[in-house]
Amino acid sequence: MDFKLTEEQQMLQDTATRLVRDAYSFEAREHYAQSDAGFSLAFWQQLGELGLTAVPFPEDLGGFGGGGVDTMLLMTEFGRGLCLEPYVESVIYAGGLLMQLGSPAQQNLLQQVASGQLLLATAFEEPQSHYHLNDVQTRAEQTAEGWTLTGRKAVVIGGHQAGLILVSARISGDSRDEHGLGLFLVDPQAAGVERRTYPTVDGRKACDLYLDKVTVSADQVLGEPGQALAALRYQQGRAIAAQCADALGSMQEACRLTLDYLKTRQQFGVAIGQFQVLQHRMVDMRTELEQATSMAILAACYCDEAHSLERTRTLAAAKFIVTRAARNIAEQAIQLHGGIGMTWEYSLAHHAKRLVMLSHQFGDDDHHLKAYAALLDAA
Amino acid sequence: MKVLVAVKRVVDYNVKVRVKADNSGVDLANVKMSMNPFCEIAVEEAVRLKENGKATEIVVVSVGPSTAQEQLRTALALGADRAVLVESAEELTSLAVAKLLKAVVDKEQPQLVILGKQAIDSDNNQTGQMLAALTGYGQGTFASKVEVSGDSVAVTREIDGGAQTVSLKLPAIVTTDLRLNEPRYASLPNIMKAKKKPLEVLTPDALGVSTASTNKTVKVQAPAARSAGIKVKSVAELVEKLKNEAKVL
Repeated sequence: MDFKLTEEQQMLQDTATRLVRDAYSFEAREHYAQSDAGFSLAFWQQLGELGLTAVPFPEDLGGFGGGGVDTMLLMTEFGRGLCLEPYVESVIYAGGLLMQLGSPAQQNLLQQVASGQLLLATAFEEPQSHYHLNDVQTRAEQTAEGWTLTGRKAVVIGGHQAGLILVSARISGDSRDEHGLGLFLVDPQAAGVERRTYPTVDGRKACDLYLDKVTVSADQVLGEPGQALAALRYQQGRAIAAQCADALGSMQEACRLTLDYLKTRQQFGVAIGQFQVLQHRMVDMRTELEQATSMAILAACYCDEAHSLERTRTLAAAKFIVTRAARNIAEQAIQLHGGIGMTWEYSLAHHAKRLVMLSHQFGDDDHHLKAYAALLDAA
Repeated sequence: MKVLVAVKRVVDYNVKVRVKADNSGVDLANVKMSMNPFCEIAVEEAVRLKENGKATEIVVVSVGPSTAQEQLRTALALGADRAVLVESAEELTSLAVAKLLKAVVDKEQPQLVILGKQAIDSDNNQTGQMLAALTGYGQGTFASKVEVSGDSVAVTREIDGGAQTVSLKLPAIVTTDLRLNEPRYASLPNIMKAKKKPLEVLTPDALGVSTASTNKTVKVQAPAARSAGIKVKSVAELVEKLKNEAKVL
């Protein structure tokens, strides 16, 4: 297998590395996190101007036809810089659904997404759903004008800033049925929509979405009503691959900071990295990182393939391995640092929180291990 | 007006360089390489001249191994029109590079040649000046401002006492200082376009230039580690130490 990047990929990576290094110093990130948007609108605009928000879209939709590896290169740098922008949610996940299910008129929106002008958010989780995309209690009822939506969606990352929110709602069946799910493009300014915004543990912002008889016109429905689940799962797979790369960048930085600390901090007259028991722990962290790297690359290679059992299984395995590594590395990094590893003013603490957050978003390790086991039985 | 920009492939400025165990040189295995930051500034200046309608074509040239094509592609992605690589696997001295650039200048006949003032690997600060001597063109080194008007270029130079502005008749050589401009990022559309821009590969033999070096590297050593500072108890003690230990007063 050839792991060498093409010249274009190398340049894309260089651009992302330099951009994040210049725009995302620790102090700047703190400033962005405290702002109303919760991220840097200027940075988002710059991503749009440089074409980086257009990477995964096909050329006829205003994009550059990039694949999973191209996205991986970007996400790894965003993870290293602890970037707060909702790239995965807006560009990969919601953008992917528009690309897959959108009517030609809806796909026109992609040009705005690709240029960074339109921010999308995904509202697929509910308080009871616990990572199951089919567990949906929000109801959609057909009316003369289109549809009305009623229900509550939880942890909509970037939902407070989004121009449009993709909402899953049940058209028919019981709350955990695999059939009967619809996808709707909801204008957050519409009557009956309420957003309650809060910070997440990793310093980003999310909102809970309360829908009270929200009217959605028929042309705001994505795809065939009632058949949304397959596309939701497929696109979540792409989001998982991008998220694995995000975690990878953060884990690399956590390992780098920890190794640096072990070589610097003196105790009993020597650098603490001289102590064998700490060396063992550092080696364990690097071993986890290497495994996670392999799985993140595998996920990037598989995520744009057509739906198959093999693809689903690979992505579940990648998410499991990366999640486990992310949590272990976050915890070990704090242990090896001691108290300073938890201080607000030191970036490691924020990497640890980010890694814990990523371990839960789109399913934790238990969820994906079960999914993997079920797919083994199915094979 | 045709502008020629010279760029060099160097170790990325963010990498901590290490000396090889046998002290024969710097260890370059698996080290990230980039375009020399001063050369990025040179490319940016040329692109701005083109955007302002002063330049019509930007030719970017590098002297180095075949892998230097990566840096040339980056320059093309930043806005240069075509690239020339003078391929040489040897480590070349500033004079050899200047001679090769002179041959490229003779071939391309640019009105303006822009180079970085120095490369961050060897920090020689020689090539631009040597090229000016070889071509006989006027030189404006350490430029913090470049203004082309008609057949002359005004270059504001950063010098010890402040700033000096020189007016040079074209063709001329300019070397860039840090404050000349802030280089842009390569955008994705331009990265894709760079793939299709022409890149010509030449050899020193084809240019009729001998690159034989009269220098030999005897030994490369890492600088001594900085020792920890000390606290002094009083101003008098500080003055005493500066006078007798540091011998700077």
